[in-house]
Amino acid sequence: MSASKIERLVKMVNQISLNMSSNGPADFVAMQVSEHLEKFWSPPMKNLISEHIADQNIGLSPISLKAVIELAAIQKAK
Amino acid sequence: MLEFYEPQPDFGTPQSDSETLVTLTIDGISVTVPEGTSVMRAASEGGVKIPRLCATDSLKSFGSCRICLVEIEGRRGFPASCTTTVTEGMEVRTQSSEIGKLRRNVMELYISDHPLDCLTCPTNGDCELQDTAGEVGLRAVRYGFEGENHLVAEKDESNPYFTFDPSKCILCSRCVRACEEVQGTFALTIDGRGFDSKVSAGQAESFMESECVSCGACVDACPTATLTEKSIIELGKPEHSVVTTCAYCGVGCSFKAEMKGNEVVRMTPYKDGKANEGHACVKGRFAFGYTTHKDRITKPMIRESIDDPWREVSWDEAVSYTAERFKAIQAKYGRISIGAISSSRCTNEEVYLVQKMVRTGFGNNNIDTCARVCHSPTGFGLKTTLGESAGTQTFASVEKADVVIVMGANPTEAHPVFASRLKRRLREGAKLIVIDPRQIELVRSPHIVADYHLPVRPGTNVTVLNALAHVIVNEGLQAHDYIAERCETADFEKWVQFIADERHSPEHTEQFSGVPAADLRAAARLYATGGNGAIFYGLGVTEHSQGSTAVMGIANLAMLTGNLGRDGVGVNPLRGQNNVQGSCDMGSFPHELPGYRHVSNVATRQLFEREWGVTLDSEPGLRIPNMFDAAIDGDFKGLYCQGEDIAQSDPNTHHVEAALKAIECLVVQDIFLNETAKFAHVFLPGATFLEKDGTFTNAERRISRVRKTMPPLSGKADWEGTMALANALGCNMHYNHPSEIMDEIAKLTPTFSGVSYKKLDELGSIQWPCNDHTPAGTPIMHVDEFVRGKGFFAITEYVPTEERANRKFPLLLTTGRILSQYNVGAQTRRTSNSQWHAEDTLEIHPHDAEERGINHGDWVGIQSRVGQTVLHADVTSRVKPGVVYTTFHHPVSGANVITTDNSDWATNCPEYKVTAVQISKVTAPSSWQARQKSFDTQQLQLLEKARH
Repeated sequence: MSASKIERLVKMVNQISLNMSSNGPADFVAMQVSEHLEKFWSPPMKNLISEHIADQNIGLSPISLKAVIELAAIQKAK
Repeated sequence: MLEFYEPQPDFGTPQSDSETLVTLTIDGISVTVPEGTSVMRAASEGGVKIPRLCATDSLKSFGSCRICLVEIEGRRGFPASCTTTVTEGMEVRTQSSEIGKLRRNVMELYISDHPLDCLTCPTNGDCELQDTAGEVGLRAVRYGFEGENHLVAEKDESNPYFTFDPSKCILCSRCVRACEEVQGTFALTIDGRGFDSKVSAGQAESFMESECVSCGACVDACPTATLTEKSIIELGKPEHSVVTTCAYCGVGCSFKAEMKGNEVVRMTPYKDGKANEGHACVKGRFAFGYTTHKDRITKPMIRESIDDPWREVSWDEAVSYTAERFKAIQAKYGRISIGAISSSRCTNEEVYLVQKMVRTGFGNNNIDTCARVCHSPTGFGLKTTLGESAGTQTFASVEKADVVIVMGANPTEAHPVFASRLKRRLREGAKLIVIDPRQIELVRSPHIVADYHLPVRPGTNVTVLNALAHVIVNEGLQAHDYIAERCETADFEKWVQFIADERHSPEHTEQFSGVPAADLRAAARLYATGGNGAIFYGLGVTEHSQGSTAVMGIANLAMLTGNLGRDGVGVNPLRGQNNVQGSCDMGSFPHELPGYRHVSNVATRQLFEREWGVTLDSEPGLRIPNMFDAAIDGDFKGLYCQGEDIAQSDPNTHHVEAALKAIECLVVQDIFLNETAKFAHVFLPGATFLEKDGTFTNAERRISRVRKTMPPLSGKADWEGTMALANALGCNMHYNHPSEIMDEIAKLTPTFSGVSYKKLDELGSIQWPCNDHTPAGTPIMHVDEFVRGKGFFAITEYVPTEERANRKFPLLLTTGRILSQYNVGAQTRRTSNSQWHAEDTLEIHPHDAEERGINHGDWVGIQSRVGQTVLHADVTSRVKPGVVYTTFHHPVSGANVITTDNSDWATNCPEYKVTAVQISKVTAPSSWQARQKSFDTQQLQLLEKARH
């Protein structure tokens, strides 16, 4: 996986989180972000970002990280 | 709807919309018409034609020609029937010996200064003057041509599409009035007095030099051969006509394609077309010549690599070749390594088939459409707040609007026929608020001055929308009862807390938006309290990193003021291309099936699986930008692109070109070898709208028929090409006519369940939803409740774009369109429309130009963070200091070399409208432009090898 590929996805998730940040408490926003990713992202994008939840250095904001953890759980449950 | 050629019916004066009826007798015939109807129109409706010259039903009655005189029982003299309105019990006589004598005398005077060259006149057989002379029984002219006359008056042939021959003018003023009343440009006048009176364009200029916008309204209105299409002069009178729908912008004008055999002689705006009601613009009316342009490619072509010459092949070979390469790619790289992009220029049936082929033949959901790069935020924003991804009104609804907001749209350039309606309403007194970085024409044009122009800094729309809502809430101007009855209460209360915060006040947001707080407050009060408020918006709203947020902000404003669910109000996205609404409706996005139903919905999937006989993927596919990224990453290797020129129209050209070069099999289906096709391995020849049957859905959700006027030049309409490819991939598609595709759409899509070609023929057009509940369609949406039930006030926090001006890139570039050109210009550049706009230029404010030593017409380099291009400078105060502007109609301009791949957070719609740039004076084209020229030359040479 190229660095730029994951960087792109991180940028996208952070942008979504930032735009939803005033929608409510952090947990609520994280849930909305994960729902958005689940609804609109293709499986390779979801899988790639989910694979990186343990990586502290990829630059996910706190809400984005929460959202991606939730997304990973959804992916795993499928 | 093939018809022998007949001029469209003309009732003489406009219809009255009164609900009170009046009964009178005309020549003994009892006629009942609405109060306010003219005697002339009542007679027409009763089947009695009164001769006339200065009257036509698209214009208010004028009463100048004195031909339409009648007798009315109990009244003295001979009143003009066009200016006399009906009264109850009125008894009218249209024929008598005295009337006949008067009419002949008047007619004789007209003809005494009119050339008697009827047999060689271009409108012979289609001339109201000729007809009227016959109707009044004129047999001789006593006055001769010896005296002073106008017979040698010089023609004005400056306009590429029509000729002005003043020797044939009868000074009825229909052209002048059409320019004023129908088009709203006021380019024509009657100059001089008495015998010297003449029709004059502009300040006694030629038509081409004047402010004439070449809409053709004057030509339509002219009762003689004074204003005549050059195509009629060259080819003669048409012999049959076909009613069809324009393939340019999202207004969706209805036209009669007037034909001689398979040749279009003229396109005339169709009076019964609900979107345009007999009006047109320079594109739809005149710019159809591209259909038979020499650049058309009509044979399929293939090649191994983009450095190889093209080889012309049969449809069978091209389709088999494509199918084999796609299958091989999937075998090697996986099922999701291929995809397709469909086009809003194609019909509903065609885009439906493309997405069906992807989902059933490719076995994935990698289908996206060009609406991704224009109105995808509209889909997201309106679905979230109101429950349906569509505009809420009819265009005619604007006639009931009291306050109109035009935001991020430039209707006089991009949606000109709607703009004429809007201007008419504004002249009647409706108020106007323009929210746009530029001083668009509507801000100040003849007889129109915007009440407020809020010159928002590019990228800060959301602050303006939030501030408008803030003022309305904090001053208690909201529609309390409407909100209580129709919107989600808890969400509204949460939103009120958000929007009432001081950070959304106009005084605070002014620092971001540059919009003076006092103007913004006044505009908010006007919208909230001025009566029916209608919002019209365009790509200046959607093509931002917060495009979806802005759309939700607009919906919030409309709900807040109770301006949804009736005539005269609403939220109206002005769609850029002809079938943006339709392509979205037809399931062209990677996450949803036709009718905006998510692919993860099991019941929906099962419905389609039963019909299509396959198992469908439950996961979203790739969006267009994802496809480009995946191609560069090596994961995406095959693309079928129908009717869309992504190499020119999509942002960050370097990135797009890199993606296209990385694709192993790029299939382009188009009418020309467009910029994308220069990177292609398979070219499938496309068909224009004149060569196929189908439907388009305009910005009003109006489904209108597209009817074939000539056989497809390549032998296949686009839907047939797609069907052939799908079958080669193993699908089982067998349609004999697009009507069968529409039947399938109706079967599978609840909002279309009542739509059929038969009903479209009966009703003319249908606004969806059309089903058992609304069998004739739905002109106004959300009447009693919102589609989602209760309206949802979305939180719309302002998040500044990352694309910011700084010392290195101090100016903000925004982009748009011009009237004469359309989108990437593939069609209009191949017509005489290029006489108005031969190149894209850079608009720059005099202050910014002076600081850089730039004069009007200089070559200027435009450098952004991602690229550079060079254009000529247009120094103008249409843009404010700090903002520059260009159009993107010419490939060589490279407008998208400088736009970035920033995009809307929710939909990835590109942020075309904000690019930080520096401008400097230069002496040569950019390195990209030099490369583009060289690549273009090489590709055209490779094309020539296929043709010879």
